[in-house]
Amino acid sequence: MAKQFIGTVGLMLLGTALAQSAEMRVLVKDYKGKLVADAVVLAVPVDPRSALHAHPPTDAMDQVDKQFVPYVKPIYVGSTVRFPNSDNIRHQVYSFSPAKKFELPLYAGTGAPPVVFDKPGVVVLGCNIHDWMIGYIYVSETPFFTKTGPLGTAVITDMPAGEYIVRLWHPSMDHTEETTNRRVTLSADSPASAEWQIGLKPSIRVPRVSGAASPSYP
Amino acid sequence: MNCKFARTLLPAFLIFCAVSHTARSDWTVATATALSHDDNVGNALSYTNKVSDYSASATVSMLQLIPFGEGYSLAAGGDLSGQVYDHLSGLRNASIDGLLSLKKKWGVGAFATWTRAGISVGRTDYQQGYRDATIYRASLELGKRLDERWNLWAKYAFERRAATSSGDEIYGLSSDAFSQKGRSFAVNARYSLSQRFSISLGALLRHGDVVSTTPPAGYIFADSKAVAPDPAFGPDAYAYRLDGTTYSGRLVAEYSLTTHSLIGCGFQRSETHARGGNNYSDSLPQLTWNYQF
Repeated sequence: MAKQFIGTVGLMLLGTALAQSAEMRVLVKDYKGKLVADAVVLAVPVDPRSALHAHPPTDAMDQVDKQFVPYVKPIYVGSTVRFPNSDNIRHQVYSFSPAKKFELPLYAGTGAPPVVFDKPGVVVLGCNIHDWMIGYIYVSETPFFTKTGPLGTAVITDMPAGEYIVRLWHPSMDHTEETTNRRVTLSADSPASAEWQIGLKPSIRVPRVSGAASPSYP
Repeated sequence: MNCKFARTLLPAFLIFCAVSHTARSDWTVATATALSHDDNVGNALSYTNKVSDYSASATVSMLQLIPFGEGYSLAAGGDLSGQVYDHLSGLRNASIDGLLSLKKKWGVGAFATWTRAGISVGRTDYQQGYRDATIYRASLELGKRLDERWNLWAKYAFERRAATSSGDEIYGLSSDAFSQKGRSFAVNARYSLSQRFSISLGALLRHGDVVSTTPPAGYIFADSKAVAPDPAFGPDAYAYRLDGTTYSGRLVAEYSLTTHSLIGCGFQRSETHARGGNNYSDSLPQLTWNYQF
């Protein structure tokens, strides 16, 4: 989705910028050298004119087997996100995050109204019926973003050549995004590569299984 | 398990499974297995009369969740369980329970306070049928998850076991020794040390009927409400029903193998103070495995 969006953005840029489109490859590890998936990579142009004319697209955050899919979804500010429910049950999606507070009523299928994310920041999603469900929407202020896959790698393509401040975010990162800031100059003739090492704190989530000593779900 | 029990309960369970499958709704299917060692299965008074044994149990639970807005949800379903003892074969039993509960979440989110009222009706059949009983339970629960690590809850429950009495008086006392009533209050706390590892602490106070099995003893007769032969513990064993209060504590450590399964190791210690100064103690170490589909 991010690639499609970047493509859309690229089409909207001036022809000269297209002729000079650049690419950036990223590798993210933790301090133990383990590859990190679901890290959001954001490239903010130093010249803000490079990010003009981008139209926010429509995106989707699904619910499959009582989990949000994907676990982390980066979107561009102003995007509209649908919350289809692929489970054969009802969910009740909510967020208390300052970047977007909302609550969808109990619904099944594709009946939930789409939500517009008009403020940059992290939005933590939950389901009021299934407390272990958690998902993240990262609302990016720049149209140039992606997230790492299982191998800790990601590529941002179709970026106008120029200077960028590149930074990372991850749900379990134990330091601020700003500490990952890196100034990168992209040129059209050769892709840039960069590697980050980030600190991850232990992740504690509400357990799905009720133990022998716990109040049973539901 | 006797044939009558199997003939009655197995078709009921299969129908239950079929209905759950065709309903295609929010069913929670879970299994729980446990290996336990009880150092005083019969609540004997003296050390010499204590009978210890190992047991294995398995439970399959199916609950349908029906949320209907404003934080209310109804859960309906049932359990099918069985328990076998290593030596006390007469105590082998199988149970079926039907459950209905109404839960109210006082807010939105995983950390909202919740309350739940529930009722259940069950039937337990033993290898030696004189202990067979129909069990009625009602409960009120209150819980709150403080954060991702701490989860607290409390439960008040009433239980009535209706067993079949032989009708003949023994030593001038009712023979309905296996019918019991009791009320209990339990508080529990669970703390997640990591994503996979958690510790739970629980305390329980129960007041009501207590059944103790020992050789015939006049000083227990005087305080008993009922007495009946209990051949599961031997030819000279008698079960006595008395009023008593039980104080119980439990510590459980659990490790999450996957997002769907948990293994656990627990220890429960109970002290019962019954009428007439008849006091019983019981220790129950346990290994558990829970799987939730």
